[in-house]
Amino acid sequence: MQCNVLRDDEKIDVLYGEASPEVAGRVREHLSTCADCRDEMNGLDRTRQGLGVWALPDSPRRRTPRSASWALPVAAAALLAMGGALLYQGTEVRYDAGRISFRIGVKDDEGLRKMLAEQDARHAREIAALRAAIPTAASVRLAEIQDLIRESETRQGQRFLARLEELRERTEGQRRIDMARVSAGLSYLDGKNGKQMARTSELMNTMLQASYQR
Amino acid sequence: MGSSDEELVEACLAGEVAAFDILVARWQRKIRGAVYRVVGSEEEAQDICQEAFLKAYRGLSSFKREARFSSWLYQIALNLSRDRLRRRKTRNWVSLDEVDETPAAGWAGGRAVSADQWVESREVQRLVANAVAALPEEQREAVVLKEYQGLTFPEIAEIQGVPVSTVKTRLYRGLSVLRERLVRQGFDEHGKQETAYAVQRPS
Repeated sequence: MQCNVLRDDEKIDVLYGEASPEVAGRVREHLSTCADCRDEMNGLDRTRQGLGVWALPDSPRRRTPRSASWALPVAAAALLAMGGALLYQGTEVRYDAGRISFRIGVKDDEGLRKMLAEQDARHAREIAALRAAIPTAASVRLAEIQDLIRESETRQGQRFLARLEELRERTEGQRRIDMARVSAGLSYLDGKNGKQMARTSELMNTMLQASYQR
Repeated sequence: MGSSDEELVEACLAGEVAAFDILVARWQRKIRGAVYRVVGSEEEAQDICQEAFLKAYRGLSSFKREARFSSWLYQIALNLSRDRLRRRKTRNWVSLDEVDETPAAGWAGGRAVSADQWVESREVQRLVANAVAALPEEQREAVVLKEYQGLTFPEIAEIQGVPVSTVKTRLYRGLSVLRERLVRQGFDEHGKQETAYAVQRPS
């Protein structure tokens, strides 16, 4: 059963140590006799302690692994050691025209030098053959492309002429219709004018007769 | 002796932009901490914190001198947090990745911890974080501002724009709900998890 003797704000004041001496004394006195309120206050105090467990993350949050702090110097040292070992064995690292080239092995190895020279010569021959093949291939492709363009242009020209003829026929038809309408209109006007003339002359005659009679 | 917040605001309004840098340096961590515990996401907290300072800088001329600068700043940040939470519309769970990787403050009392203790510490943090995240907005804010920011009741009342008595009621209800949830999730109230609760209060 919930006890209602203490108010919420009084409990909070006591819980945070901000109650006046009078309130603190009254609450303490009540807690000494009410097990429900005592349990509740103890529970709220433990809850407050539990909230303290939720720590704030470091700022800014670390996205990189912590091992990176020692991994970088170790990697640099390993690279230096490897480079030293290779140089000691007579290996050459050369940077020329944007490329890095390695020469691995012991110095003064005649067989190796010969083999490398042969490889270089073979590569040079292959590159020359490829270069020679490039213009031929390009010209074939160019001719094919030109043919395709020509075919496309022909098709477009034919389509254009067909559209032009169709347009001419439609214009001619429309012209004939318009002419017929104009002609019909003129005939109507002619008829109308004829009737008006007849009525006017009839009126004139009537008026003349009337004047003679007078 | 450093200048007060209000003096720095005056200096900033007089054209001394560097004064605002001092205000940012002074309040950034506090504001970010409050926002993080309200929204439950560190990345979002960073965003909101930056946005809050930007908004404060732009609206510095509208800052009313009768309020504390810090309260005004908290107000801006919490308003942005509420907007963000409303837009998100999903429950505010905190994942294990979000909680701090180091054992909780006071958890091991500075001693080296075993793997079990470390895992348990993270789990406890996650449970607490999610229990706070599940509170209604105004209760969560009251709990965060009092428990984690250590603000006084009048300061919280100023930030939330309610009487002090309302703040205390919100805090009482929030703590009561948290108590029930934490007990339900396996925290023995009578000492079994005493080590988990034997922690220092955050400064």
